[in-house]
This record gives sequence, structure tokens and C-alpha cells, in this order.
Amino acid sequence: MSTATLSPLDLAAGTGAACRATSEPAAVRWALIAIAVLFLGIFLFLPLGVVFYTALGDGVRAYLRTFGDPDTQSAIRLTLLAAGIAVPLNAVFGIAAAWAIGKFDFTGKTVLITLIDLPFSVSPVVSGLIYVLLFGLQGLLGPWLIAHDIRIIFAVPGIVLATIFVTFPFVARELLPTMEAQGNDEEEAALTLGASGWQTFFRVTLPNVKWALIYGVILCNARAMGEFGAVSVVSGHIRGLTDTMPLHIEVLYNDYQFVPAFAVASLLALLALATLVVKSAVEWKSREQARRAETTNREMPA
Amino acid sequence: MSIRVRGVTKDFGRFRALNHVDLEIPAGKLVALLGPSGSGKTTLLRIIAGLEFADSGAVEFGGKNITDRTARERQVGFVFQHYALFRHMTVFENIAFGLRVRPRGVRPPREQIREKVNDLLRLIQLQNQAGRYPSQLSGGQRQRVALARALAVEPRVLLLDEPFGALDAKVRQELRQWLRRLHDEVHITSVFVTHDQEEALELADLVAVMNEGRIEQAGSPDDVYNRPASSFVYNFLGNVNLFHGRIDDGKTYFHDEASGKPIFVRPHLLEITRQANGGSHFRGVIKHINAAGPLVKVEAVTEWAATVRVELSQEQFQALHLARDEAVFLTPKEVTIFEPEEARSGSEVRPPDEP
Repeated sequence: MSTATLSPLDLAAGTGAACRATSEPAAVRWALIAIAVLFLGIFLFLPLGVVFYTALGDGVRAYLRTFGDPDTQSAIRLTLLAAGIAVPLNAVFGIAAAWAIGKFDFTGKTVLITLIDLPFSVSPVVSGLIYVLLFGLQGLLGPWLIAHDIRIIFAVPGIVLATIFVTFPFVARELLPTMEAQGNDEEEAALTLGASGWQTFFRVTLPNVKWALIYGVILCNARAMGEFGAVSVVSGHIRGLTDTMPLHIEVLYNDYQFVPAFAVASLLALLALATLVVKSAVEWKSREQARRAETTNREMPA
Repeated sequence: MSIRVRGVTKDFGRFRALNHVDLEIPAGKLVALLGPSGSGKTTLLRIIAGLEFADSGAVEFGGKNITDRTARERQVGFVFQHYALFRHMTVFENIAFGLRVRPRGVRPPREQIREKVNDLLRLIQLQNQAGRYPSQLSGGQRQRVALARALAVEPRVLLLDEPFGALDAKVRQELRQWLRRLHDEVHITSVFVTHDQEEALELADLVAVMNEGRIEQAGSPDDVYNRPASSFVYNFLGNVNLFHGRIDDGKTYFHDEASGKPIFVRPHLLEITRQANGGSHFRGVIKHINAAGPLVKVEAVTEWAATVRVELSQEQFQALHLARDEAVFLTPKEVTIFEPEEARSGSEVRPPDEP
């Protein structure tokens, strides 16, 4: 047991020595740290500070009054709606895609992986335009939609569609490496033990990718709430109807209503910060679990 | 439940993993599929389990054709090489899994499941570890949990893929004996895959030696070891010295590259002497002596510069006073010759030996 408790220490000492061997002189280290901090300060903390400073420039009362405005409330509702639809759908799609790619071999697998990445590589404006060209007045399905009195472009469905498109790689991308790494062994074991496909999925596959899934959902949600480009193209900026939070901020800003604009922006920033906190917590938790599993392995050799 | 494999062929792309394999496994026996990696033994096991499906041929359980049944319907217990324990479940939950996923009608009540799992925990001597996660167990403990999990569903046959492959030597030895005792108690038809000939010979009632997708020989450990059907089997089961020579008038010539046939001599069947004894012998020079262990292992270089291995008892070694670089005579007590055709005949479909 004494050697077992020693071994992690030895390991730590080993990595420590390795760090020292590759480490730079103090001056270089401080210079690097200073550059990083300066960079972060100018491009990240300063703007974030300005957002909150301007938002609260006319006092807390003015800040809060912004959120009493029906147009602002409508924008918040629309953002939550779009994210509320896009995130669950993309979670389901992501699980299905990652499952298919990670656990099975089929022709066209690489094509599918590339396609999943498409929204990452295409400009959001183009993503929005796709839907305009498809569902817009002059679009492919436009006449038919008008004939049946279905509005997609410049309406809520278009915003939801654009949000789904832009955010669909997130969950799949997070799940894929985990699913591929875990292989099929546990699923096969479940099968030989008499579990059905659904039982195997819900009792074995899904719990094993739990953390990756949560992480993917968080990232997906952050993007869904913050998306501007694609949504801007399909929205038409109808106040109180098709403005999401990012669009509403732009409208307010262009109207020289700086306090309301920054107040809404601060809400969006707070949502992003909250997302980051949850994300870090999830990362920490999953790493903690992995670490615990590893150390227990080391303490109890076969 | 007896298992019968009839003419099973399986291709992976252009690689033929199994080539018209026939095998009969009587009920209640413990059978080893033995062979080098790539010989198709794991594929055969997975086809029996229903995790893989044969391109042609049939699998029967107890005389009933189950070729088209899924793994779920076959009711096999499968122990995976790396155990494949459910990492997010405790030991208890792992073992209970197979019972808990049963359809409502045939699922045992909660209390009964608990009792059953506790019985199995006692069987694998892990009563105190029920609440632990697989990552908190040692390799040997994981292996036992995997076994208990497979046994919990009362499978018709138990299939084990390299069950001791990932364990260190001492644990492997213990688990081996434990599995043998378990099998003697439970008497479930069991098939295990191994590349370790010692493991197969020690543990199994029947050994099927596989090579390049075929079964070279199936028989009792005594059969395959002492009466190997092909040069491959002879070679694979235990150490062996290979010569190219011929036998004329009862005298063996060990070095005849031109017209020689393969001659096999096991290391313990070579005798070292100081004087020529008039029989079939050849000269050699001692190059290496390893006296650690019950047998002394000696390496000698022959007149024609080949290395031969000899094993002799500690007593013989003491009596001879062998030293390095000493010239000696080597006399085989027994040789095995396979006709060159014999080495190839394994490629034909060989009916399995009846036990």
C-alpha cells in the first residue's frame, strides 16, 4: 500500500522535472504572460467592462426599465424559443449522427462527417441566404408557400430554421470522439445479456457519453442564443415580431438608444458567462471522474 | 447444450477469416479454441455467439439450427477480452443488468434479482465490492465480475474471448484454476479462445487447434499434444526443434537439406551424452545454459550451425557437469516426421475428431 500511495507522487515529481528541463528563463516567461494578459485585457475584459458600464450609465432604474419594453421582451422570448427548439433537435440529431458514425461502418461515412462540419465552414450569412433562396418570395418553394399561406422567411419559422442550421454540428462534434473511443464492446455485452436496442441505447450508450452530450448542448445553446448573421438575413427585422436579442441590440444601437442596447447586450453577455461557468463545471466534473478512475486503477494493480 | 458448427465460412473483405469450419462441442464440456492471432478463433467464437454472422454454413445449439438468430435470442453468456463491463454501473448493477432488462413478463421480482446477484457475488468472492465501479477493481476482479454478469442470465452456453489475456501471470494461474473448478460445479457448455497452449492444455476437456481459418485438429489435450495431426499442431503445442533430414534403415540423418523432410524433436526428448552411443546422433557445442527452474534449458549449436534446444532434469544436469563451449553428442529419444504433403493436408476440411 505504501508504494501505491507513493506512485502518484513519484509521477508528479517526474512531470515536474520534465517541466523544468523545458522551461524558459524568468524574463521570457513574464514577457509571455504579460502579452497574454494585455491581449485578453484589451480584446476581452475591456469590451465586456464597457458593455456593463454603458448599460448601467443612467443608473440601475434605467437599466431595468429596458426590460419592461415589450419589444425587448419579445426579442428575449424569440431568442429563448429559437434556442429552445434548435438545441433539443440538434441534440437528437447529434446523438443519432455520432452513433451512426462512431459505432458503424458504412460507405459515405467521411462524406457525412464533412457535411456535418458544413455550418462551421460556411459563412452564417450564406446559411441564412440558403433559406431565403429556398423559402423566400422568389425562392424555389416560395410560390407554393404563398399559395398555402405559410410564412417562413421574415417570420419565426425562418429564424428557427437558420438557428438549427448554424448550430447543428456542435453536439455531433462533441459526441463523435467519445463514441468512437468507447467502441462497441459494452453494447455487444448488453446485447448478449438480452437487452433490446433501445434498452442498450438508454442504459449503456447514453450514460457513457453523458458529459460529452451536456458539453455539446451547452456550446450549441450558447451559439443558438448568440447567432446574428444567418438569423439577420431571414428575419426582416420586424420589431416585436422577428427580432432576436442580437438583432434587437443592433436595432437599438442604430437608433442611438445606447443604454437599452447595452442593457440587452449585458443580458446576452451574462447568459454567455453563465454558459461558460456551467461548461467549466462540466469539464471539471468529467475530468475529476476520469482522474478518480485512473488513480483507483493505479492503486489497485491487477 | 451441445454446439455444432457446420461448414462455416467468413470473409472480412478479401481476408478469409474462417474457411469451411466444422466443429462439434458436446454438452457440458469446457473447450478451448487454440491458435495464433489471425487464425480465426475469435471470429468463430463471435459467430457462435451471434455477434458476427457467417457468410455460409450453420450453427446449431442442441441440434437446433440457430444460424439466423440474433445474439439476444441465442441466450449465450459472453465474456469479452477486455471485460466490457458497464463503466457507469456498480458491480451489483453490472451483474443485475441481464435480469433487469428482461421484458416485464419474465423479469424476476426485485427481491429475487437481489438474491441472485448476491449469490453470484459470493461465487466470485466479491461480496464486499458490490457498490464499487469497474474502474475501482483490479483486472482479476473485473474478469470475475464479467463472468458473473454472463452467468446471471443462466445462459445456455458460456463463451469466453481470451479470458485471461490481459492479466499478469500469477492472477492468470489462479483464475484458470478457479474457472476450472467453477465449470466442474456449474457444468455449462463453455468455449474459450486462447493463444496460450499451456492454458488450453491445462484447462480444457477438448482442444481445437486453429490455423489460417481452419481447424487443424480437435481432440483431447492428450490427443493433440501426443498425437498431433499436422506439423502445425506439433509446432504450436510446445517447444520443438525442427530438422530437415531422412530416415534410412532405422537410422536418422538430421541434416539433409536437399531431400530432407521436416523432422520434429521436442527439447525434452533430446539426450545429451559425452560419448557417441552408436544410434542416431549428431554433434553439438553447448552455447547457453539456463539452470533456473525445474528444468534446465540448454542451447547447443549443431555441426551445421543450427541452434537446438534441449531440456533436461536438474539431476541429469548435475550428473553431466555440462559447461559452456563443451562439445557433446545429442541423441533424440523420439522423432516425429510429417510428410511434406501432410503439412498441407490441413487445408482440406477435416472432420472433427469425436471425443
